[in-house]
Amino acid sequence: MNRASLRAAFFAALSILVAGGLVVGLLPNYWVYLITAVFILGIALQSLGIVTGRTGMISLCQMSFAGVGAWTVGYLNFIDFPGGLPLWLLLGGLAALPFGIIIGLPALRLRGINLAIVTLGFASAFDVVLATITYPGQTNFKMVARPAGMEGDVGYFMFVIMIYALIAVVLEFLNRSRLGASWLAVRHSERAAAAHGVSIPTTKLSAFAISAFIAGVAGGLFAGYLGTLVAENFSMMQSLTLFAVATMAGSQFTLGAIIGGVLVSLFPELLRRLNVPQDFGSVIFAAGAVQALSTGESISETFMRLGGKIVPKGLFKRAKAKTHKLPAAKTFAKDVPALQVQDVTVRYGNVVASNKVNLTVPHGKVVGLIGPNGAGKSTLVDAITGFLPDYEGDIRLGDKSLNGVSVTERARLGVRRTWQTTRIAPELQVGEYMRLAAGSDLSDDEVEAVLDWFNCPPANTPIASIDAGTRRLLDVAGIVAARPPVILLDEPAAGQSYAEAVRLGERIRQIPETFGSSVLLIEHDMDLVRSACEEVTVLDFGTVIAHGAPANVLETPIVQKAYLGVDHELEASA
Amino acid sequence: MNSLLTPAMAGLSAGGAYAILGVCAIFTYRLVAVVNFTGAAVGACGAFIMVALVEMGMPLFPAVVLGIAAGALAALFVGFITTIWFSGANGSVKAAVTAALLVGFIALGLRLTGGQHPKRFPDILQGAWLRLADVQITNASIAAIGLAIVLTIAAEQFLNRTRTGLELRALSERPMAAELLGIRVRLLALIVWAIAGAVTAFALMLIAPLRSPDFASLSLLIVPALAAALIGAFKSFRAALFGGLAIGIIEGLASGLVGLNQYRAAIPFIVILLVLLWSQREARWDESR
Repeated sequence: MNRASLRAAFFAALSILVAGGLVVGLLPNYWVYLITAVFILGIALQSLGIVTGRTGMISLCQMSFAGVGAWTVGYLNFIDFPGGLPLWLLLGGLAALPFGIIIGLPALRLRGINLAIVTLGFASAFDVVLATITYPGQTNFKMVARPAGMEGDVGYFMFVIMIYALIAVVLEFLNRSRLGASWLAVRHSERAAAAHGVSIPTTKLSAFAISAFIAGVAGGLFAGYLGTLVAENFSMMQSLTLFAVATMAGSQFTLGAIIGGVLVSLFPELLRRLNVPQDFGSVIFAAGAVQALSTGESISETFMRLGGKIVPKGLFKRAKAKTHKLPAAKTFAKDVPALQVQDVTVRYGNVVASNKVNLTVPHGKVVGLIGPNGAGKSTLVDAITGFLPDYEGDIRLGDKSLNGVSVTERARLGVRRTWQTTRIAPELQVGEYMRLAAGSDLSDDEVEAVLDWFNCPPANTPIASIDAGTRRLLDVAGIVAARPPVILLDEPAAGQSYAEAVRLGERIRQIPETFGSSVLLIEHDMDLVRSACEEVTVLDFGTVIAHGAPANVLETPIVQKAYLGVDHELEASA
Repeated sequence: MNSLLTPAMAGLSAGGAYAILGVCAIFTYRLVAVVNFTGAAVGACGAFIMVALVEMGMPLFPAVVLGIAAGALAALFVGFITTIWFSGANGSVKAAVTAALLVGFIALGLRLTGGQHPKRFPDILQGAWLRLADVQITNASIAAIGLAIVLTIAAEQFLNRTRTGLELRALSERPMAAELLGIRVRLLALIVWAIAGAVTAFALMLIAPLRSPDFASLSLLIVPALAAALIGAFKSFRAALFGGLAIGIIEGLASGLVGLNQYRAAIPFIVILLVLLWSQREARWDESR
């Protein structure tokens, strides 16, 4: 619960309530009735924004989830269940939730378009089932009872607005939480997310469950809005249209959800007045979605980008007056090495990428791992962090063997890594990324201190606005802020200028003493290796060829031969 | 015995059509790396053009030929969009594009063909091929199954034995590298789209008289088609062939059982769910580094 979330949530609630007040105060009843649909669709669109916009999985059955919620509300109304619409909405959402989980299950470990296929299948199956069982109350015209005192169009509009504001506020908090950051991280790179200790199945399932719940609530609101429902209200075509509009408008944002709601409910009204066939709207939504996909920018993102130009520059400067305090160093057992790699062999088919490698990262030290391209350095990092589960040998963190432990679990135990290319989701802010990487127990002040220590931009800077070199520094900063027992840095200085690399080397040398973590540094920049490391291990063709203090090892003929191709024996004999 | 055999045989022609559509889905996926949600909709365009031409008094044969050409053209339209604007995009984005296009196709198609009211489709292959007591196998189902088998074999041979097939596989896996090798990427991709569209159009003409042939229902045949393609893991044409036939036969059997009859169209969804759950026994990571 940080200040940014509170501010955003307050702003969202206020602007929604003001907009609602304006609608009620200024517009005739007919328009109030029409605009009610905008907000109900806005809720449905926000539910789609979580799965598709944030987590990056295509869902083509959102209106079917809404249909489950609507059916439940209709049924509760039919049997005169006590509690009235507010309770029924909750139950409708809860009824849709298990469907979300069942549909999400097949997408847990498979990537790509599988979810699109299974959701389309669900939408078509739901159509069939609904056409057979029909809506409760459809035959005897029993209208869904609206809440007491809100039976009129204006009253129901106020009710919908309040539910919308409630959901928008909760989503503002969720989106800025570690879970929200995990959704974006999973969308961007599952590997990187898992390496932060994020559980991929939990993240995807939570997105689906929350999304289905919200869609179910939207469906329930529809039941109250229309009174009686027919199967066509929630047909597959409606789900597909909702998907196209969500893509076009950017429904993961509150603004985008409202724009989308306006498009779906008011655009046909406009076409009707222009005497254009109303289904022409769907063609425009399809074209708009394709356009948004090709530029990679939805309507709401365009608005926000243009709006961002008005905001004065210099907003992203750190208040220099305050001195930030770094988080306290963590202490780990000193009697065992932080990380031990024992006789680790990795094979890719017939290629032995790593051959009985032994490596120790002692407690409280920075150890270098060097070697020419293709020597097996990154393979070793993949093996240590669990991305190559089929290695032979033993990898131990402290006194615990990591064999058979998953990537996520290894990261949680405290083996953390950076990547050769940055994998930070560009939609995040620097501070949100730091919390994703380091967990939620750091104060705002400590986050700023770590950022400052690594010369990174302040926490409220959007990742999209910083360059690749700085993002790689941020990668390091996030993992260091987590203060795990072992940090693996995969070529952190690549892409940095000479001066930046020198400064980074200095910082890496100070990590054990300042934060308590031990470091394995993979690097090609020998100046950085010399300045940061106390010990160096050299790999060539998957085998350890030298080990010792940097000054000695780098002078060894065998290392120079592997690295520079300088063959001292040949030179001597010539 | 016949009480089960009759509905099972009735499901054969549907199964043949699913198999054709499934094979086409794999064909487009393996050659141009797009999971095409408009796969059935482009075929529906062709089928409805054929009906319109017949209604205008054109003889059946030229109408069918023109309908097939129209299906190819509709597929080319989707192909143009995906190859020109989205050649560098990943699979998810391309799938999202075709899903969005499906909305436009269905809306336009319903508008131009007079909404949900089913059209009368001419039987382009009439009569029964085999009739034993009350079990009958129609010519249309034999044609659908035959086409599915021919298509499966042709696709397999083309991909594995011909130089163009090899080039196309290179194209779908690494479009940039293929282009640098001097392969005419765009032309080949568009030919693939056109072939898939033409075949689908013919398949839908065969199956349309058996369905409620409105534009939306025909377009949504993409669901069983993708289920069949998933059975083949978007790789094996043969598995998709059998998968498509199996879905059709199961649907046929379900239609013979009271109580299950109304729900038979939900069968492809159950197949999709089971296949996906089965295929994710082991974890997989996205592309490395």
